[in-house]
Amino acid sequence: MNDPILSVRDLTVKAHLPDGVRTLIDAISLDVRKGEIVGLVGESGSGKSLFCRSLVRLMPSSRLRIESGSVLLEGRDLTAVSDAEMLKVRGAEIGMIFQNPTSHLDPVMSIGDQIAEGIRYHQGASARDARAAAVDILSQVGLPDPARQYDSYAHEFSGGMRQRAMIGVALSCDPKILVADEPTTALDVTIQAQILRLLMEIRDRRGLSIILITHDLGVVAQTCDRIAVLRGGRLLEEGPKRTVLSTPRDPYTVSLIASHPSIAAEGGPAPAEAAPIAATIRPLLEVDDLHVRFASGGGLFGARGKPVSAVAGVSLRIMPGESVGVVGESGSGKSTLARAILGLTPLSSGHVSFEGVDLAQQKNAALFKLRHEAAMVFQDPYNALNPRMRIGDMLAEVLRVQGATPVAEIPARIGALLDLVGLEREFADRKPRSMSGGQCQRAGIARALAVDPKLIIADECVAALDVTIQAQIVELFRALKRKMNLTLIFIAHDLAIVRNLCDRVVVMYRGEVVEEGLCAEVFARPKHPYTAALIAAIPDIDPDRPLLADIRCDPPPASPHILERLP
Amino acid sequence: MHRYRFILTRPLQFVPVLFGISVITFILVRLIPGDPVRNILGTRATPTAIANIRAQYGLDEPLWLQYFYFLRNLANGEMGKSILYKIDVLKLILTRIEPTVALVASSVVLSVLIAVPLAAIAARSNGRAPDHIIRIVSTFGIGFPPFWLGLMLIILFSVDLGWLPVSGYGSTIGEKAAHLLLPSLTIALSLSTVLTRSLRTAMIEGLKSDVATAVRARGMPERTVFWRHVLPNSLLPTINLLAVNIGWLIGGTVVVETVFALPGMGQLLVRAIFSRDYMVVQGVAMVFACATVFINFIADIATVAVDPRVRL
Amino acid sequence: MTVQASAPLALRWHRFFGGRLTLVVGLAILLFFLLVAIAAPLIAPYDPILQGADVRLQAPTWLHPFGTDNFGRDILSRVIWGTRIDLQIAVIGVLFPFLIGTTVGTVAGFFGGPVDAIFMRLVDIILAFPFLVLMLSIIAILGPGLGSFYIAMALVGWVSYARLIRAQMLVLKNSDYAVAAVSLGFSRARIMFRHLLPNAIAGSLVFSMSDAVLVLLSGAAVSYLGLGVQPPVAEWGVMVAEGQSFVTTAWWITLFPGLSIVCLAFGFSMLGDALGEVFGVHE
Repeated sequence: MNDPILSVRDLTVKAHLPDGVRTLIDAISLDVRKGEIVGLVGESGSGKSLFCRSLVRLMPSSRLRIESGSVLLEGRDLTAVSDAEMLKVRGAEIGMIFQNPTSHLDPVMSIGDQIAEGIRYHQGASARDARAAAVDILSQVGLPDPARQYDSYAHEFSGGMRQRAMIGVALSCDPKILVADEPTTALDVTIQAQILRLLMEIRDRRGLSIILITHDLGVVAQTCDRIAVLRGGRLLEEGPKRTVLSTPRDPYTVSLIASHPSIAAEGGPAPAEAAPIAATIRPLLEVDDLHVRFASGGGLFGARGKPVSAVAGVSLRIMPGESVGVVGESGSGKSTLARAILGLTPLSSGHVSFEGVDLAQQKNAALFKLRHEAAMVFQDPYNALNPRMRIGDMLAEVLRVQGATPVAEIPARIGALLDLVGLEREFADRKPRSMSGGQCQRAGIARALAVDPKLIIADECVAALDVTIQAQIVELFRALKRKMNLTLIFIAHDLAIVRNLCDRVVVMYRGEVVEEGLCAEVFARPKHPYTAALIAAIPDIDPDRPLLADIRCDPPPASPHILERLP
Repeated sequence: MHRYRFILTRPLQFVPVLFGISVITFILVRLIPGDPVRNILGTRATPTAIANIRAQYGLDEPLWLQYFYFLRNLANGEMGKSILYKIDVLKLILTRIEPTVALVASSVVLSVLIAVPLAAIAARSNGRAPDHIIRIVSTFGIGFPPFWLGLMLIILFSVDLGWLPVSGYGSTIGEKAAHLLLPSLTIALSLSTVLTRSLRTAMIEGLKSDVATAVRARGMPERTVFWRHVLPNSLLPTINLLAVNIGWLIGGTVVVETVFALPGMGQLLVRAIFSRDYMVVQGVAMVFACATVFINFIADIATVAVDPRVRL
Repeated sequence: MTVQASAPLALRWHRFFGGRLTLVVGLAILLFFLLVAIAAPLIAPYDPILQGADVRLQAPTWLHPFGTDNFGRDILSRVIWGTRIDLQIAVIGVLFPFLIGTTVGTVAGFFGGPVDAIFMRLVDIILAFPFLVLMLSIIAILGPGLGSFYIAMALVGWVSYARLIRAQMLVLKNSDYAVAAVSLGFSRARIMFRHLLPNAIAGSLVFSMSDAVLVLLSGAAVSYLGLGVQPPVAEWGVMVAEGQSFVTTAWWITLFPGLSIVCLAFGFSMLGDALGEVFGVHE
């Protein structure tokens, strides 16, 4: 029975604001044992990041103070040590890695130097020894060419490599405990799987303990030994992973588990069978060998450089009433495809026909149809709304420009739209700044519905939301689909959500469609190695379905380069 | 190395700008009311001289052809003659270039030397007394007209204390340095107010940035956070800021040279305007403009050298 | 993100002004000068151009709180009357460039392509000339005077505003709500002027305050050099020039006009800083 290496007791942090004192962390107690990975789960505002920062007294603002409680690191109370002592604890005993490696790495210092800095400071090594040690660390975190990449800068790496570099920088100080603050949230699913694997390897090799902060229960199920659930600064539940996941005690934990997409697919209602479509019905949308190319970077006088194919020969057919998911990672071209379909991005070649009207050949007629019968919902709920307009005014303007509703009926229609998306009528007078992400997203959906569309394209519109809110928005789409007989194109990078909502799925990779078919089919028997890799990389909330287990696919991968994308 | 490739390609983008400069200067001078021959030669001109000028500048030709004559003359290094000084404009400018260049260079150096420490002190003591003082002083300082500041400095250092000469330039390096000190200080004080404010903001943001947090999380003391990470990052936009303000700086030399009677291009410009020496005005304006383009180019090179992210 | 409940009115006022010392100070200073300018005929003790041979070069006394110059004119009255001109310089010298530059920059930034390229080339060329050099050259052609100064400002000063708002436009036109507006069938004019411009203009408004300082100093400098306001009109820059020869014996002739420039500029700077905080903009 090992004693905990870190023992937090009743830690309380309060914020001293001009209009009062607020408790942000409310008497949290937690133990971390040697070699253990503890998952700290919660949604935004739950205090999980702040909790970890309090461990090393790295408060984001001078207004935040540790009011009471103790943080015992191998017997020493960190809340009571001097500032000078604390400098020795940070890095060398408790290290941290962050969600966004780009903003946390010094852009003008080479990666290697940043690692060497820690080694020289904490271990007093000479420049040459530090460099050698840094190169060693770079190879431990899986960089392919450590000696050369020592001199590279952060912006020269991809997202996954940057995160590896960040892990290397944290390891340079040789800590006993590593705090990982949402280290994979900003990464593609396949890269996420590798980084999680890396963290587990490091734990095995060095015997470190890890506190893993995340909002994704799947990640926790796959990597952690224990789980702690936080909400509103309070610890709601804590215990060994399997216990908490199979028999959660707190109702919030129950709802978190229920909102997780992969669970909903198992236990929830089976997605409606795609109604048999009569052969005589015309497709609502037909995409035929679509190419969209952009010029990348300039040569002389900003002349066109090498063209980049964002969409390279995509063909699709969408029938009225269908809901189709488009899945792909960053750079797959799915967003560009969406915008090209709606006539927001010029097509380089190929055809897009909406209800038979071709965008390339009957441009004006097609655009008119698209503007009045199709609409888009965007990813970033705040960026998607004009920050200066009230919701009601925004909806009124759309209704006026669309011209389908007589002026006198506009206020009534605004009310009806708000009801449809589940927003109270008083939101008509609110501005986005005073609304939550989920509320803003509902407003964005209301705006799309104001067009009275036949087709809605949702471009990653739940990616920026908390898991419970995601589940609500997905439910909203399901209800709207039924009520208004909408055709829905749902773009996402999260396969699990698509599985719940859509009949068909299209998988994109680097501008091409690599697989297409009914959801149940594609998920059970993926034909393309990329699809299989994608499915295998999703962290399943069932701990017995390990990450990246078997990349089964049928037929076996002909082009291994797909798997090499996992560097 | 390929990041420096723009050094070869960028000069081609200058060409339209340089052409534009020549066009504007040309138009400006052509718009001067009165007989162009008078404007070029002054009131006392012999018929032979008048005929020569008409031929050389194509004054009887249509305007667009005159522009080509203008360009041709430029290519030959022929910028006209100064009515006031009676020598070629180009020669005149070359004699006056040194004090102006020395003034601009020393002003830049002095202003950086003043601004960086002040900004560092202000940023590191953010919210406390030294920061407030520096903020107020630098905000106040922006409003000091250089011509007035120069006069005040003259009163203080030259008249009351007698340490430094009041005006002029001198001939030896030592004398020149002494004569340049007050003028440079005048410009530097004004420029440093802008630099201090901007640097201070950049440093304060740097101290709050994610990079600083990550460095602190590794246990580095505040001084390392500041000197090794925040300071280098906040100096980066300074190069750009200086380049952007170069136009203002050069304008400052015009006024300051007048206050301190420094025989540079700025003073030349003012005198030429008053004495309707239009060829000189044209020449000086063009030289200043081309110098600005060139200085901006140097600043871009410096930025690429210093910031590994930048690709131009 | 937490939803903010409405705070009681008193608390909101305190929050607004308590943290906004810069705003209060800036507005107060500007208001002060505005009142002085408006009330000049009423509060100036003497006629600003009235000469008095027997009171020449008098140090500040109760009768002449700012002293007199070499023509026997009362400095205080001249400073008060000069407020009208210098305030006018700051306002008009900013207004026209702001309007012209914002329009040009909005159109260039929104449409992009050849329209943008042409305008920005023009901006580059104008910006290549040192500001004061170009101003002086234009004034040299038009002849000295305040009118020439305003024309020169309008011709030259718009470029900074154009650049600023164009940069904002380039960013904002790719924001999701702009794309959404296109997909909803909004006309380009509507998107440009009713959606993008109000969001883009914050930076220009903040900049206009520091531009006001620049314009004020330029106007004073041009007048100091003798190419702007002509004597015997009272303007602060001209007054400094007039006092230059007496700077050692009659320091008050140059001190008070100079201080006035500094104070008015300080007011604009404070207001600019306050606006910058409100809009979340940095220079």
